Amino acid sequence: MSIGQKWRLSAREMFGYQISWAQLAWMGHRLSGIGVIVFLFAHVVETATVALGPDVYDFTQGFYHNLPARLGEILLMSAVVYHSLNGLRVIVMDFWPRTTIYYRPLTYGVIAATVLAMIPIGLIMITPYAPWGPA
Amino acid sequence: MSPARTLYLSNPSRAARPRPEPGRERFWWYFMRISGLVLIVLVLGHMFIMHVLVQLTGQEINFAFVSSRWGSPFWRIYDFLLLLLAMVHGVNGARIVIGDYVTHKPIRAGLIGLLMATAVIWLLAGMIVIITFNPATAPAVGPFS
Repeated sequence: MSIGQKWRLSAREMFGYQISWAQLAWMGHRLSGIGVIVFLFAHVVETATVALGPDVYDFTQGFYHNLPARLGEILLMSAVVYHSLNGLRVIVMDFWPRTTIYYRPLTYGVIAATVLAMIPIGLIMITPYAPWGPA
Repeated sequence: MSPARTLYLSNPSRAARPRPEPGRERFWWYFMRISGLVLIVLVLGHMFIMHVLVQLTGQEINFAFVSSRWGSPFWRIYDFLLLLLAMVHGVNGARIVIGDYVTHKPIRAGLIGLLMATAVIWLLAGMIVIITFNPATAPAVGPFS
């Protein structure tokens, strides 16, 4: 496919087959989980520097005081919210198999609820760097 | 019942692995779901306080903030449980992901061994800091300044 021939890739072209929401929900659960555990390893080290006193700890907290770090924190929050809600769906469907017939609406609900929750949370978290934030 | 329907009912969530046979792997299957429920409360609570409430009340996370927070046994126990459950839940998830993609047995065993060893060191270090932290005896000036 040459550039300009077609600007939009279908799921079939991207993955070689028609990917389903089930696979995307599963992949999202995996990617968000891996992202959170990688952050957790870094977070334990950064928090442990509190034992070295205020000088060191306030310095390491400075790593978070910039826009890219804040955007990363918003991404982390989205990953945790999605992983929580999707995990809840996994638990419900594993322990009450009859809910499996609502599989599709539950999956759409998880994605919609994550996006909805992240609107106010994201707006609050971006405040220091936003036009409406403190000067 | 068709084989496809049997497989479907054996893994209704279709987002995780089917419940394994009785044994160690079945324990971990239940552990992920039960610790997951507890972690939803602990992690979302932690992140809501640190990223939403701190922002709304105009506070800043620094040494003084942690000192006053860990002055209460409630928050020390909260953070201890959070560290323990998040680490074990996350590392077990990573172990399953490695097992799914790395098929060469020695490399798989090496990666999982490395993951476990790192996790134990990180977990112990984190627990020691949460239990022993004392702002009164922490050095006022850091080793790098």
